[in-house]
Amino acid sequence: MEHAVEMRGIVKIYPETGLRANDGVDLTLNKGQILCLAGENGAGKTTLMKVLYGLEKPDAGTISVMGNPVSITSPLQANRLGIGMVHQHFMLVDDFTVAQNVTLGKEPLKGRFSYDLKGAADAVDAVIRKHRFSIDATKRVGSLTVGQKQQVEIVKMLYRDVDILILDEPTAVLTEQEIESLFITLRALAEHGTSLILITHKLHEITTISDRVAIMRQGAMVGDFPTDSVDGKQISRLMMGQSVSLVVDRLPYTPVQHPVLRFDNVSVLKRNQQRPLLNGVSFTARSGEILGFAGVGGNGLGVLEAVLGGFLPISSGAIVHKDEDISRLDSHALRKRGLAYVPADRLQVGSALQAAVSENLIVDARNEFSRHGVMQRKKIEQHAQSLLKTYSVKGSPSMPIGTLSGGNIQKVILAREITQYQDYIVFSEPTWGLDIASSRFVYERMVQLRDEGAAVLLISSNLDEILAVSDRVIVMYRGTIVAVLESEELRHVTKEDMGAYMLGLRQQEAPHG
Amino acid sequence: MVDRMEKRRVTIVATLRNSIGAVVIVGIALAALVVLSLLLSETPMKTLRYFFLGPVQNTYYFGNMLNMAIPLIFGGLGVSLAMRSGSFNLGGEGQLYSGAFVATISALALARWGSAGVVVALLLGTCTGGLLAALSGVLRMKWNTSELITSFLVSNAVVLVVSYLIAGPFMDPATNLIATRMIPESFRFTRILEPSNLSSALFAAVIAVLVVHLYLYKTKSGYELRLFGLNPRFAAYGGIRTKWYQVWPMFLSGAFYGLGGGMAIFGTYYACMKEFSTGMGWNGLAVALIARHRPGAVIPAALFFAYIESGARNAMLHSDVTFEIASIVQSVVFFLVTSAVLQKIGSVQRRSV
Repeated sequence: MEHAVEMRGIVKIYPETGLRANDGVDLTLNKGQILCLAGENGAGKTTLMKVLYGLEKPDAGTISVMGNPVSITSPLQANRLGIGMVHQHFMLVDDFTVAQNVTLGKEPLKGRFSYDLKGAADAVDAVIRKHRFSIDATKRVGSLTVGQKQQVEIVKMLYRDVDILILDEPTAVLTEQEIESLFITLRALAEHGTSLILITHKLHEITTISDRVAIMRQGAMVGDFPTDSVDGKQISRLMMGQSVSLVVDRLPYTPVQHPVLRFDNVSVLKRNQQRPLLNGVSFTARSGEILGFAGVGGNGLGVLEAVLGGFLPISSGAIVHKDEDISRLDSHALRKRGLAYVPADRLQVGSALQAAVSENLIVDARNEFSRHGVMQRKKIEQHAQSLLKTYSVKGSPSMPIGTLSGGNIQKVILAREITQYQDYIVFSEPTWGLDIASSRFVYERMVQLRDEGAAVLLISSNLDEILAVSDRVIVMYRGTIVAVLESEELRHVTKEDMGAYMLGLRQQEAPHG
Repeated sequence: MVDRMEKRRVTIVATLRNSIGAVVIVGIALAALVVLSLLLSETPMKTLRYFFLGPVQNTYYFGNMLNMAIPLIFGGLGVSLAMRSGSFNLGGEGQLYSGAFVATISALALARWGSAGVVVALLLGTCTGGLLAALSGVLRMKWNTSELITSFLVSNAVVLVVSYLIAGPFMDPATNLIATRMIPESFRFTRILEPSNLSSALFAAVIAVLVVHLYLYKTKSGYELRLFGLNPRFAAYGGIRTKWYQVWPMFLSGAFYGLGGGMAIFGTYYACMKEFSTGMGWNGLAVALIARHRPGAVIPAALFFAYIESGARNAMLHSDVTFEIASIVQSVVFFLVTSAVLQKIGSVQRRSV
């Protein structure tokens, strides 16, 4: 069979962090084949596809398309070579019609300058009918459902005569029915000779749709099989890896605890979306424990973080802190009650990059550092000095925090939040992008907080981390809790078991955390 | 001690580097002025002499130049405050004009109050400007409308309304000017550099700069405002009331414009003439851009602007330069200062993380 795409020895290093996102990756895609590219968050799948689509320049490696060696420097060029990509987040203009969106950048012309609206509608309509999509070319995109918008994205690529189509987590935002109809479309495309790559980490999707599955882990390709020759367990083991490499010293788990924060059947449903982002989530975080939340990206961990931080209002249920209902409180009110929270996005949410380190350090304790509305400069300076020393941050209080390294920025955020905490503290993806030494530092702090009696909530898609430091673990899948693992269970749980829960292969009966 | 000096040295170097952009802008603007004079004037040397030396040739012109800078300082401060919080206030024209108008009619109504009346009248003018701008902030907070557009539109409408009021109900029938009656003597600021128009409002402008500087860098509210401007998501995360900081800085911004309007009346004009302030709002914006929203830099920026303007007027009076040519030169300056690219020259680039 002829190869549609052949990637050899692709290396991509992000200079900012030195992270080897792709470390000598090989990938072949046969014509008319559906390939699933699987792997955990941060395994390097999206980077590899960005390289193929001309969005990232590889540091080494070769690519050939339809047997010809090529160098792809831009998406436009990728389009010319017949490669198209549908991103996870739609890139559509809501106020334009389907036809206008699809033809954007490649408009049919009437004469030399005028945009042939009718011609565009006809051409797009032809593509829609050929592939039996269910959208109307003259409709405004803003009025479409999420599933239909995705169809527009696919049509956009087909209109450009693409015969190699990359879809980045196409099912993440779809309902079951929408997924089903998407898969019918994809199969039809493959029969027409289009070659497809689907980025996904959902096992049942891999087994239903793909001819072949390629699995990545930590920037390397760890497996490549015809789908019918492997089973879910094998794939999950390859995705998760084998060993738990992190061990943190800690006191034995003490069961003398009291409840601090309780979620009671909490759901979050956004307008215009059929699928709830959180669906009837109930758990209790107790003092003196690290409660881990595991899950694959897009299954509710980020939403949980937003709810805990007071950014996202809940639609039903209740959140109770020390016997008081805090469901309706925003960030301002939660901070007043002593919320301490290390956000996943430390650059956009956790810091103001142009502001000084000392200014970043007091954002949630402003009142303690001002008298009659006047900031106490000396006190702020001393506070910053002592925290920088305690947390061994390389930097000075007056430097803009954006000039520090990622690890040091995270230390500043940790310092701030740990100083601020009263009885519970939320960590979301606390070691993402950090090196081993910095990660270790974070774990030690978390364990220390636990030993002091704090309720520590750890939200992380890094399974190693969850298993290494949590006392109890809650597993999320599609916005619901599918498993709760108590400490004694955690001692002998395997990553394979965890993978099965995280990927929706298995579910406990009525789990309650 | 050594450490301290080193720190100071670093700050000075950083400040200088950050000023390179402004210096380049001033340089290009002046070069453009020379080129335009050579092209458009029959007697370029004479024109240039009046342009450059005119404003400083005697006390009269020098004082007037300083006087011209006063409303620019207030406007520049107003814009800087909004910009620092991440808001845009393009409604300076209307805010200044209406502030001046309200201050004038208040002064007329409170004629017998004496100096207490001055304070009350100015406060009323200040609040008028502030509320006009705050309206745009509220609209943004409630419905996420662009305060840039709404402040501009509201201002345009307000200018017409104020002009109507001056030409209609509040017109002084005793003069040929389209203007309100003159404010009482006791409300007028003292002239401090006769025979020029310069009044003690200059001190008020300097104090205002100081107040804004202290507010932004020394108070809790100023800290919250700046953080909200730098990263609204971080501000929300840290528990700062983000809704408040969509409205309050706009209020302050309009308030300074309104105060600037009142100061212009009490210090210079003594009556609110129809469209007396045309251009002052926009020039305040230009001043804030040259100053890069730093209150301390507003004074030199305003002086530069006033210098160019009075230079142009001088050249107009004493050589063959027409009003249009002078305006072209000013437009070139305005065009240059709004170029973000030039602003960035030499500034310390933030490391991308």
